[in-house]
Amino acid sequence: MRSHFANLILYSAIIATFFSVLTRRDRREQLRFGGLVFLGMTGGVLLLAYLMLPFPR
Amino acid sequence: MTEPRPVSGRAADAISPGRTAVALVAGWLVPGAGHAVVFRVRRGILFFVLIMGSFGLGLAQDGRLALYSQREGFLTGLQLVANIGVGPADAVARMNVYGEAAYALPDPYSSGYKPLVEKFRARQRSAVSAYGTAYLWSAGLMNLLLLMDIWDIAKRRKD
Repeated sequence: MRSHFANLILYSAIIATFFSVLTRRDRREQLRFGGLVFLGMTGGVLLLAYLMLPFPR
Repeated sequence: MTEPRPVSGRAADAISPGRTAVALVAGWLVPGAGHAVVFRVRRGILFFVLIMGSFGLGLAQDGRLALYSQREGFLTGLQLVANIGVGPADAVARMNVYGEAAYALPDPYSSGYKPLVEKFRARQRSAVSAYGTAYLWSAGLMNLLLLMDIWDIAKRRKD
């Protein structure tokens, strides 16, 4: 798998699911926390990538 | 120091020290198995899928199976901990990749040094090696966190 974006989505999904199940017991809480972690990771990376756009190598 | 407050529900079930020890060992040997031993079977299955999925993705993407080097002892030591956290699956992966369960760089003047370093560097040259490394090390670190979770469950700090 050579897609950066697919790796970002997959990695974020694994980490978000893991920590939501590890730290929350209520199903609704798990969904909420997992969603927040997932959006935080993917959104953060995309925002950072956007901010770096004017500075190519 | 105050005692941890017992939580309600299943966590109130007594988990003997022996079962806790078995759970910790099983949890390291097979990710998620420790949770099954302390009666959290569904959670254990999910953790197994997540950790072994991450481990498999890491191997498929040429993730780094760290080798301890005296020159960078601290960093390579931490990398090894992250790798070994996933259990014996790491040793199996090393046998497949390096041809032996190598954990440290041998003496630079020994005959085994060059072939091992070549295999190590070949994986690092892969374009996706950094992603693979993130998956591999995350798998090991997640499993170490699970061992702490098992301890908390056994001590009734968590459900």
